[in-house]
This record gives sequence, C-alpha cells and structure tokens, in this order.
Amino acid sequence: MTTDLRDEAAKNGVVRRHATGVMRAAVAGPETADLAAMCHHVADLARTRPEPPSRIRLEHLGTALEIEWPSPVLETSASVSVPGVGPNAAESSSPRTDSLAANAADAAAAAGAAGAADDGLQRVCAPMIGTFYHSPEPGAPPFVAVGDSVVPGQRIGILEVMKMMSPVETQIAGIVREVLVPDGGAVEFQQPLIVVEPVGGR
Amino acid sequence: MFGTVLIANRGEIALRVARTCRELGIRTVAVHSTADRESAVVRFADESVHIGPPSAKASYLHMPSVMEAALRTGADAIHPGYGFLSEDPDFAEVCEAHGITFIGPPPHVIEKLGDKALARALMAEAGLPVLPGSVGAVTGLAEARKVADEIGYPLILKAVAGGGGRGIAVVRAGDQLTQAFRQTSAHARAVFGDDRLYVERFVEDARHIEVQVLCDRHGAAVHLGERDCSVQRRYQKLIEEAPAPNLPDTLRRQMCDAAVRGALAVGYVGAATFEFVLAPDGSFHLMEVNCRLQVEHPVTEMTTGIDLVREQLLIAAGLPLGFRQEDVTPRGWAIESRVNAEDPDQDFAPAPGLLTEFVPPGGPFVRVDSHAYPGWLVGPDYDSLLAKTVVWAPDRDQALARMDRALGEFRVEGRGLRTTIGFLRELLAHPAHRAGRHTTGFVAGMAAERAK
Repeated sequence: MTTDLRDEAAKNGVVRRHATGVMRAAVAGPETADLAAMCHHVADLARTRPEPPSRIRLEHLGTALEIEWPSPVLETSASVSVPGVGPNAAESSSPRTDSLAANAADAAAAAGAAGAADDGLQRVCAPMIGTFYHSPEPGAPPFVAVGDSVVPGQRIGILEVMKMMSPVETQIAGIVREVLVPDGGAVEFQQPLIVVEPVGGR
Repeated sequence: MFGTVLIANRGEIALRVARTCRELGIRTVAVHSTADRESAVVRFADESVHIGPPSAKASYLHMPSVMEAALRTGADAIHPGYGFLSEDPDFAEVCEAHGITFIGPPPHVIEKLGDKALARALMAEAGLPVLPGSVGAVTGLAEARKVADEIGYPLILKAVAGGGGRGIAVVRAGDQLTQAFRQTSAHARAVFGDDRLYVERFVEDARHIEVQVLCDRHGAAVHLGERDCSVQRRYQKLIEEAPAPNLPDTLRRQMCDAAVRGALAVGYVGAATFEFVLAPDGSFHLMEVNCRLQVEHPVTEMTTGIDLVREQLLIAAGLPLGFRQEDVTPRGWAIESRVNAEDPDQDFAPAPGLLTEFVPPGGPFVRVDSHAYPGWLVGPDYDSLLAKTVVWAPDRDQALARMDRALGEFRVEGRGLRTTIGFLRELLAHPAHRAGRHTTGFVAGMAAERAK
C-alpha cells in the first residue's frame, strides 16, 4: 500500500530528490480524501524508510500530503523556477549574463551564513545582496513558515540578484521561529532572513 | 548633474571620491564588504550597502552585487575608483545596459586600451612612439624568441591583460627567455585569466613619466602636465611628483602633445593617463594607457588646482570641459609618498594590524588621503596602501623638505603593524633622488647599497 502510494507519486513526478538534499514524497488528490485515511497513509509512508522523516505536512481538503527525509545525497542546485523572471529572462542567454549568473551562483555557494546570537536562536542570513522570495512563485506556499522544522540543506527561500535566482538554504536544524524579511524584500549580504531555534545537542 | 553616485571601491579612493561628490551636492552610496563594515567611506557616505564577504571576488569585483546595490539605491552613476572594476569593459557595458552612467571611458575604448598589445598597435597608428617589439601578442615561445632575435636583449615580457605592475618580466639574455616566458604566462593566466604575452625592448636606466589627460564628450581634450613615477619597487610606485624633475621643456611638450593625440585618436572620454618610458638619450616611448583615475592623481591636482574627480563627474554628466589647454597653468611642485602597511625589513611583506594610533601630518600645504583612523583594522584582504601623503611647495627643494617634515610627524602605531614611512624618508633623502636623477632602477640600487 505504502509502496504503491510512493510509486504512484513517483509516476506523477512528485517524489523527487530535491536540490536541497531532501527526499520528499507528496501525494495530491483525490477530492474526497478522508482525514483518517490520510493519517494512515502518512504514517505508513513515514515507515517506508528506515530513517525518521524530517518533515511531515498534511493538508486536508486540498489533499496534500508531504513527507521529507534528509537525503545523504546533496545534489547541486542547477536551476530554480522562480518568480519575477518576466520576459527579460529570455535575454539571459548572452555570454555576459551567463557569466554573471555563474558568478552569482559562486557567491551564493561560497557564503552560507548563519548568525548566532546570545538568545540561543540562530539566524539564517542572506548569502548575497538581493531580493528575498519566500516561495517558488507568486501565490505558492512559502518554502518555510513559522513553526516548521528545518534540516540542514533545506531551502528556505530564493534570492534574486540581477534577475539571477539562487536558492537560500539553512545550515541549521531546528524550528523556524520568525521570518524577518517580507516576501520580495531587499536584503544586504548577511542580513538575517529567518530565526531558527536549533534542535538537538543543546 | 547626477543626483546619486555609487562608489564601487573601498579604502582611501572611495572616501576621496565621496568627498568631491559631497562638495558637488551629490548623494553618495558606499558599497562595502564585511571587512569594511566600519570603513571611513561607509561612515562618510549618505548610504551604504553591504554587498559581500571580504573576498574581493565576491564583493568589490562581483558585478551582480554592485549593480543590484546601484539599482536599489537609485544611483544614476557609478564611480569605479581605481583597480577592481575600473577597467572592466564588461562592467562599463552592464552599467550602460541598466541606464547607469559609468564614470570612465566608453566600454569599447576600455576594451581596446585594456588589451595592451592592441593598444600598442592603435597608438603606433596614431603616431605615438612605441618600443620595438611584437606586433600584438605573440603566439608562443617560438614567436617570442623570433621577436627577441630581432629586437635584442634586454627585453620585457608583458601580459596583454596586465596592469598595476603585474605580469611583467625583464629578460636579460636568451637563455632566460624560456623560463621567464613560462613563468610570466602562468602568472598572467592565474591573475588576469589571460596568458597572452607581448614582447618589447627593455630600456635600461629609464624614467617613468606619465601624462594626465582629460577629454569631454564633445571632442575637447587637454593635458594637465606630467608626473614622474620613477621611484618604484618591483613596478609598484612609491613616490610620485609633478612636474618631472630635469625634464627639458621641449620634451615635456612632445610627451604631452603625444598623449592628447593618442586620446583623441581612440575617442577617449574622461580621465586617462598615458605612461611613457623615457630613455637616458631623451627618446620616449608609450608603455600603456590607463583608463581610470590613478593613485597618484593628487600631485596633478596640487599643481594645476583642478579636482580630477570633479572633472570626471562633470564629463560623465555630459558637460563640456570648463577650461582650454592655455588655461591649465601648473604651478610649483607636488610630491606624493605612499605609506603602505608593509614591513621593509621583511621584503615589504604586508604587515597588517589594528591601528591603535593614527595621527596624520598637517600644516601648510600638506594633504593626506587616507581611510585610516585609530581603531581601524588594517586587514589582509586588500592592498596595503594606508595613506597618501601629498605636499605642495613653490619649488622641488622646499617640497622635499616639506615631505620629510610631514612624514616625520606621521604617527602610526598598531599591534603587528609596520609601515614604509622610514623607508620613504630614506628614499627621499638619497642624493640621487634629491638631485632628481633617479631612474626606475633607483630603489633596487639603493637596497643593494644598503645590503653591502
């Protein structure tokens, strides 16, 4: 049953290895989902892998069901589908823009910043100057919200620099306590984006 | 005139540019790396934006971050200072594409003059004397050897993409060519991402004399006289002065005229410096053209009374030059000493540290361009320039005495910090320098004397 569900999901392209290093299984529909049945499914799904899931999301009437596992495989984030890339995105095939893009990716990769404060909370900071987006596209649910638990390598937002999109990932495991920058807000290098209360080992 | 100018640089030059902007009523935006969060220009500017980590590659050289900051702050122009993005044609073009004025020459001019081999060819075409050497870049060691056989030794290998005294090697005999070629081309690839080299005759006992030129967008070009920058250590300038001592007037006129001719030939706009090598026999040849403000520009400002940054801004804003050649009347003598955070006893290794005391000299006709202050951390991330001490006097002797007095009262202290102040005073006091008879070999020669 659980395997079927995963296979089904895989067929629909919903189970995928995320660039963030997270295995995620998600199921959508049918319309008449029964909450109890969904709970069973999610429990069964959660047991399909030996390691515990890092995140479970269950929506009822819209019928979403998501489970994430930390993945041992870290893939490079190749491309991000993004908001704000209008018709101008087509221009980005010029060599200049490509090199800008490569630079932007370099810089983003180079600086994975976490700011600690004496309140025991940690801050995930902007890896570069840019515009911070909460979700993959306008209107889509945010990557993270207050109360979510996050694992290292999980995407928490997108940073746009000169029409070049770079993922922002947390290097901290914990619970999101605050989102400091509004969606579409301008940020400087190392500006705190979200507050995470670390879990484990403290 | 511009409403807001973003300064895409750091250190003393960022502050120097911001000061003139303030005088013109222009709002300033400083961009800075993490290491420069507390920098003087960040404190001075009307607004600052943190664009990246200390590594220049991810901050001051990172075009997307600089452009993002410019667009966000509503800058209508970017002043690139010297170094970093100042001679990058791509950056100038990206600025243009975003409707932001790049304060410097047009991208195609930077591109042509930045290719040192192409610049050589263009300038030869314009009638400027260039040294015998390869036509453009050599294709490899074999061609370099062929050119060497024609022009003879000593010769100089130079990186096509070089500048700032890097990517240069003097070859004195044929048996050194192979090794020098390989080393220089490897160095050029590492530093400039371009391993092409060209070959030129090397002039012994030469002087380095450069001419400051200003060109507006309306076809006017004037020169502001010359500077002597012969006091160098490993192609890095240490002391500069204007005018050049013991330079016959006819020669001065020829060099200045050549520079203006060269600038007009390539459609130059903005401030340019034409660097010449002057041989003991009085012949001079063009070395290269720099498409930016020079570190040593203050000596020209002191003798001409013209603020070069102001002129750059006015020219970039499209205004015609406010003076003609005959209005430029250099007066007196100016000298600049570069005080670096380096240890002269450790082969001038950078000697950074936290400044506990920083009291620059003052008094009559002394100007100090510096970003340093007590509490400032002179870090390892950027070049070691700490302060430019500039003096003016009616004649050279008085200027030398004034410079020695000024350096003598300069107080710089810091844990681990060393400066070149003592060394500069030794150079200034040396008989060859006092007499104005020094050449580019002067510093190495003095070091050899000391070692005896």
